[in-house]
Amino acid sequence: MEILSLILNILLWFGLYVIVSLSLNVEYGYCGIPNFGKALSVIVGAVVVGGVVTRILMAIMGIHGDIVSGSSAVSGEVNSIVQNDPLYGIALFILSLILAVIVGTVVGALFILPSARLKEDYLAITLLAIAETFTMVCYYNPVIVGSYYGVSVPNIFAFVPSSIRYPVLVGVVLLMALVVYVILSRMVNTPYGRLLKAVRENEDVMKAYGRNIMMIRIKTMALGSGLASIAGVLLTFYTLRVQPDSFLNYGRTFWTFFPFLIILLGGAGNNRGVVLGSFIFATLWELVDFYKDNIVSALHLPVEAVWLEYILFGVLMLLILFYKPEGLIKEKPIITKPIKRIMTKRG
Amino acid sequence: MSVLEGALIYSNLLALLALGLTLTYMTTAVPNFAQGSFAVFGSYVALTMWKIWGYHPYQSIPIAFVLGGLLGAGTYIIVLKPLIKRGANVVTLMIATLALDLILLGFRGIYAGLLGSLIKQPCEMFMFTYLVRYVFGIQDILLVSFSVIIVTLIGLFLLLYKTKFGIALRASVENPMLSEIMGVDVEKTRLFSWFLSGALASMAGVLLPFKQEIVPATAELIIVSIFASSIVGGLSSIAGAIFGGYIVGMSESLVTYSLSILTNNAGLLVYGKVVSLVIIVITLLVAPSGLAGINWRKVIRWRSYR
Repeated sequence: MEILSLILNILLWFGLYVIVSLSLNVEYGYCGIPNFGKALSVIVGAVVVGGVVTRILMAIMGIHGDIVSGSSAVSGEVNSIVQNDPLYGIALFILSLILAVIVGTVVGALFILPSARLKEDYLAITLLAIAETFTMVCYYNPVIVGSYYGVSVPNIFAFVPSSIRYPVLVGVVLLMALVVYVILSRMVNTPYGRLLKAVRENEDVMKAYGRNIMMIRIKTMALGSGLASIAGVLLTFYTLRVQPDSFLNYGRTFWTFFPFLIILLGGAGNNRGVVLGSFIFATLWELVDFYKDNIVSALHLPVEAVWLEYILFGVLMLLILFYKPEGLIKEKPIITKPIKRIMTKRG
Repeated sequence: MSVLEGALIYSNLLALLALGLTLTYMTTAVPNFAQGSFAVFGSYVALTMWKIWGYHPYQSIPIAFVLGGLLGAGTYIIVLKPLIKRGANVVTLMIATLALDLILLGFRGIYAGLLGSLIKQPCEMFMFTYLVRYVFGIQDILLVSFSVIIVTLIGLFLLLYKTKFGIALRASVENPMLSEIMGVDVEKTRLFSWFLSGALASMAGVLLPFKQEIVPATAELIIVSIFASSIVGGLSSIAGAIFGGYIVGMSESLVTYSLSILTNNAGLLVYGKVVSLVIIVITLLVAPSGLAGINWRKVIRWRSYR
């Protein structure tokens, strides 16, 4: 039984990280934007569910008051409706997804505006600063998602018998990951995908070809953020809460650093590598989590396992950068039909 | 009055932190995302010295300087130098400093737990405000932070302009390849800049708990202000970093304070980082190379024409 829940945990985090890392791969691996503020789009997804969808439900149900108490009233009522009416839950899920993708796309496009013309280092600093500041505002401001108290979120799977509720959620997460994978692997095999790689390799040449680098960056960030906010929605329906203090403490590590780790582990600019990287990362993480009590007691020290995990994954990142910067699956040159024809002609 | 004092203390510390960040950016061309962790490292040095051996934090400034310097130098030798040798690009180096930041966060968490169980007090969050004394009605931390920054600046000036090593350092910033041909050991100047950067950050970290509470997320949040200061200063100018530190430090405190007075809403006081972000965005849009990039002579001439 324990093994089963371990496998489900691995699959859940695998799915979530596939979504976020693939979207980061479009930005960083393909277009070369070092998005050190990736966490922002995941947080936006969570805030849309906790702050926007909850308010819509409050307005529909005529519940007044602030977001903290209002959200618990809403989730209580919605849970009892969804238990008898699965369609309500599914509709709520789809509404949240659509809203989050729209808001995520807009935020992504706005997010890069101040720095779209800049070099990589300035770009990274600005994106990180915007994400951190937004996180901090969410933490301090009681209006957005209830500050310290957080917001509760209805359980859209309340109609599923509780014994198989978690497997169903994991299935939905994996399905969404598959959808994102299909969308992105289609998209990068178009002229647009090849354009992104060209921008990454040499901006000046692409400028000389009359491409607008700023527009390409804005579009790419809009796409990446829109997709990553799906992960925020899924995460929220898993935890059933939106807690701004966890954004502050874990946001940057979990949703910026780890996706970068996954991309570099699997291979940047390469969707299959990123999927492999997500799987390895999720498995490693869950195994450490599974055996953390044994590890901590073996050390005979009053140490929380999360700190050890930070050190472990930080060192892993450095080792990858030192010894395998191209990742496990190396990026392959794109061979389009005309190129293939020329290659076969030449033998 | 106390608002102004707080703003000045904070600005002094930011100037020190931005100075360190700028130094390493000038020599190695990588923005150090672990600069906030370097600072909080110093805070923990001071906490340890105070709680275990009873040394007042002011007394632990020298030791924090040395230990922080070793941390900075170690960062360069262990993490960055091998990567630069392998020809890593700037994004790889930035990711490496991000990884280092996470590793330091992990060690900090473990250390706080160990120290806490040793002295039977939680050490995840702490402040030194209860140690502040008043000299002629002024908080002594204000005087101490001013003396630290003045001593630092005089020392740095003497080093850069009056010694041979300083000339070599400036030359290697200006043109690394040419100065290497002339016999300057560029590696040594880079190593020194990382030592100094860690040392300055750690000193600032000793004084930081007098101004604000140290929490696990402190390092992640203060990095926004440090970057804002350096960007305002142009990221590669020592004088710019100092001015940037004061501009960002003063505006973070004073803008939020005056807004909270105007709107009669004390809740606005916590949004200092939003001011930093606005400053970054304005700088990048109006003068992307910061104060140092503005041609001041032209500005003055333009004003006198009108």
